[in-house]
Amino acid sequence: MPVTTCPVSQSITQLDETLNSSRLKNPKSRRMVEELRRLLNDIAWGRAGEEHLAFVQSLSQALIDEGPDAAGKAIGTTLQSVLRDHREVFLSHIKTHNCLTGDCVRLVPAPCQMACPAGIDVPTYVNLIGRGQDAEAVEVIRRDNPFPWVCGLICTRPCEFMCVRGRIDQPISIKFLKAFAAERAVSDRRYRNPAQAPDRGRRVAVIGAGPGGMTAAYYLALQGYKVTVFEALPVAGGMMMLGIPRYRLPREVIDREAAMLEDLGVEFRFKTRYGRDVTWEGLKSEGFQAIFLAIGAHESLKLYIPGEDDFPQVIEAVDFLRRVALGDHRVPGKRAVIVGGGNVAIDAARTCLRLGSEEVIIAYRRTRVEMPADVEELDQAEEEGILLSFLTMPKAILGRDDQLTGLLCLRAEMIRKEGSDRLSPVAVEGSEFLIEADTVISAIGQRIGLECLDDLKNLKWSRRQTIQANPVTLETSIPGVFAGGDAVTGPATVVEAIGAGKRAAGAIDRYLSGIPQPKMPPVPVRRGRVDWLEVPAGTKMTLRRPEMPLLNLERRRITFQQVELGYSENAVREEARRCLRCDICLRCGKCVEVCRDLMGIDALQFGFLNFDHPALTDFRLTAERCILCGACAANCPNQALRIIDRGGERLLSYCGTIVNREKLEHCRECDAVLGPLRYLEFLLKRTQGVSPILTDRTLCQACARKQTARAQVEIQPA
Amino acid sequence: MAFHRGQKVEIFHKSEDESWEEHMDQLVGRHGIITDPDTTKNDPDALIEVSVEGKGTHRFPQDCLRLLAD
Repeated sequence: MPVTTCPVSQSITQLDETLNSSRLKNPKSRRMVEELRRLLNDIAWGRAGEEHLAFVQSLSQALIDEGPDAAGKAIGTTLQSVLRDHREVFLSHIKTHNCLTGDCVRLVPAPCQMACPAGIDVPTYVNLIGRGQDAEAVEVIRRDNPFPWVCGLICTRPCEFMCVRGRIDQPISIKFLKAFAAERAVSDRRYRNPAQAPDRGRRVAVIGAGPGGMTAAYYLALQGYKVTVFEALPVAGGMMMLGIPRYRLPREVIDREAAMLEDLGVEFRFKTRYGRDVTWEGLKSEGFQAIFLAIGAHESLKLYIPGEDDFPQVIEAVDFLRRVALGDHRVPGKRAVIVGGGNVAIDAARTCLRLGSEEVIIAYRRTRVEMPADVEELDQAEEEGILLSFLTMPKAILGRDDQLTGLLCLRAEMIRKEGSDRLSPVAVEGSEFLIEADTVISAIGQRIGLECLDDLKNLKWSRRQTIQANPVTLETSIPGVFAGGDAVTGPATVVEAIGAGKRAAGAIDRYLSGIPQPKMPPVPVRRGRVDWLEVPAGTKMTLRRPEMPLLNLERRRITFQQVELGYSENAVREEARRCLRCDICLRCGKCVEVCRDLMGIDALQFGFLNFDHPALTDFRLTAERCILCGACAANCPNQALRIIDRGGERLLSYCGTIVNREKLEHCRECDAVLGPLRYLEFLLKRTQGVSPILTDRTLCQACARKQTARAQVEIQPA
Repeated sequence: MAFHRGQKVEIFHKSEDESWEEHMDQLVGRHGIITDPDTTKNDPDALIEVSVEGKGTHRFPQDCLRLLAD
């Protein structure tokens, strides 16, 4: 059963109740309970070491054994029982600095970090980038993802979809910030591997040098395992290298990051195909004790139309992209038709254009709205001159004398079939038309090549023809055999494969160390709590997400040069300042409630707090009504809001955004700080009926009392 | 229903699909954003990636998802 309330937080509440009651009579017991409270607080605040747990254990035992107090014995027994049942949760708080339930408010990860399949600590590295600490930012990223540069260029960025800033205007450009930092770190020769654990003398085989396989190799090597990666192709990278064209991801980027693995001692055996050159039995006899299958999904689905197998000019998109990636830059045909509507279809079309095809058409059987490809990719393809033919269903491939001449198609219409809520394309009778072409590329999906795994007789498969693996541990039906990435999920994203590789490394380590496997997916680890960047509210609201400069159109159409040219340094530093620091503000809304309902001021226009229905947010509006009373800051459970007196002013800071500032007034007698004028006026208004004597707002309470006392002495008869 | 990147969805019930895992039970009723739909061929049987608010990113069968109005 998943834990829905945090045992750490619950224990603290119980200790508090005991301390606040009169049940603890003995001073020694009270001191011990107070000490336990401090230790648990450290755990809940992410500042505990592993020795904390041992102290909690022994101290609670001492309460039972030595404490003469019944209440002490009772709380000691309760704590012992909680530790016995939830030891892993306590350890997870200490090791990951995370609280899954969110009860330990200091340890709740930001939505961007939670969204990342690799669990990267986004707020920490974005803020390091904002400070110009690019190499340090890359170090933070590489603790969870060995490919920051690759992901900075091609990640599908789930983090940005969950970015809270997106509820105000545009999400932080997390992906491109990462690319900038990685490029800087490499350029400055400060891109380094973390420290490696001593050699454990144990060997692990990884099949496939794609993102999943290489990530598993990286983390296993860091843990001291001797890792060998077997790859059928002559290069590392898998789908990153073969499926993603060079104008999106230059080869040097993959080569650089793959080379970092070799620095850790990872051995690559290229041109070695599993099932043909190596088998699990053979590897075991070589001394390998576990294997991770990350073979990807490299086989194309067929069109199943007449003529498909009759002409050599009918090619599969994945094969085509692979050939180009490996250096075959011949023009596939002057007139190329690509069948499909996904990202691979777009990549194949743009690649044809760059190789010299004069006309490139994407034939898709549904409409633009249903097209599954990324909108940005589609926009760029259309800018480059790719033509789109919607509601077009291929019927047959025509040609003569081994030469393809065209794709016979049918016009389709979208019809809702009975019992389905989806519109489906249905061919219109008699609507045949011909698209003249000398090459047809099918891009209608991929599957995994099952044949290579024939030797693993007991390997179980899902009904989707993917390897069946436990999603938490990636264990397959065969002990010692783990699997992840596209081979398990079906064609998915690079960052998901990276997340799977990391999980697999952890699971393999547990398997080889004889430690029980976890039941729940891993929790992202907080890597730090970097100070926020101070930004005035006006700047925070007016800073805009920068546009990505693109290569000029002419060059895009004829070369494989990188299309996205990267942000300037200034744009990067400014973009980082837009971050709201959701690792600190938990969006509980207490501040808004206190300001509106208790103080009756309603100064905080924080509409972004609501995930489902975000309303207006404008940090600048706070200054219109805020009296700097500090009620919001006093009630913030995580110190996201702070009142700061500085340079003769009182400031209200929301995670570094200065939402209000006012000049401080001082007592005219003793110069003590009184607060800003608006606050004093508010107090005056609120206390008028109660204490009419406090009409002089330039005196502090003490001086006002003295003056009143003096006045009373003067008017008293002697 | 074809899902697109960026759409808000609710995991409105458990799925009978084999890919539904026990730990996903606690996600029923939660809201999230589609982060990686089926980008190949609009297959209603494909597992699609959803980032669930506060609960991480997971692949779900499509029959347990419904779109939320903006």
